Amino acid sequence: MDPFSSSSGANVSQPSPEAVIEQVQRHLAEAYAEELFNTVRDKCFMKCVTKPSSSLSGSESSCISRCVDRYMEATGIISRAVFNSIPREY
Amino acid sequence: MDSSRDTAELQKLLEQEKSRAMLNELVNKLTSVCWDKCVGTPGSKFSSSETACLSNCAQRYLETSALIVRRFTSMQQ
Repeated sequence: MDPFSSSSGANVSQPSPEAVIEQVQRHLAEAYAEELFNTVRDKCFMKCVTKPSSSLSGSESSCISRCVDRYMEATGIISRAVFNSIPREY
Repeated sequence: MDSSRDTAELQKLLEQEKSRAMLNELVNKLTSVCWDKCVGTPGSKFSSSETACLSNCAQRYLETSALIVRRFTSMQQ
């Protein structure tokens, strides 16, 4: 079943612009999620696991949890600063 | 025939997605850079100086970018 078939049953071999954009957006969202995961993992490992030992300690684990929360918060702060810097006419 | 109208529409929508993606990428990069500059050991909340640093960092980075554009432009004259 072609997911891009139009419901009118017309002989459409081209997907609609909306369907193409939806696919693009899904791919972008996936790529973004993967990049975010990799970044947060690397940043928080760097901040919280300074001397790797034979297991993650309780304080290392809670540091990592806090780090994830703080990184998401930082993303929001940066995002707002960037959007507030965009001139109106852009 | 709708296909040329569709192509133009698709082009427009793709340009919008591209702009959105570029903005996202900027935010991601800035967060990474400014996190390294501004955040010490992660606590249960940011200190006010960490929050200010993050916000300032983003603005100063954008200003730096604009300054460099102007510099390159003047070098070409």
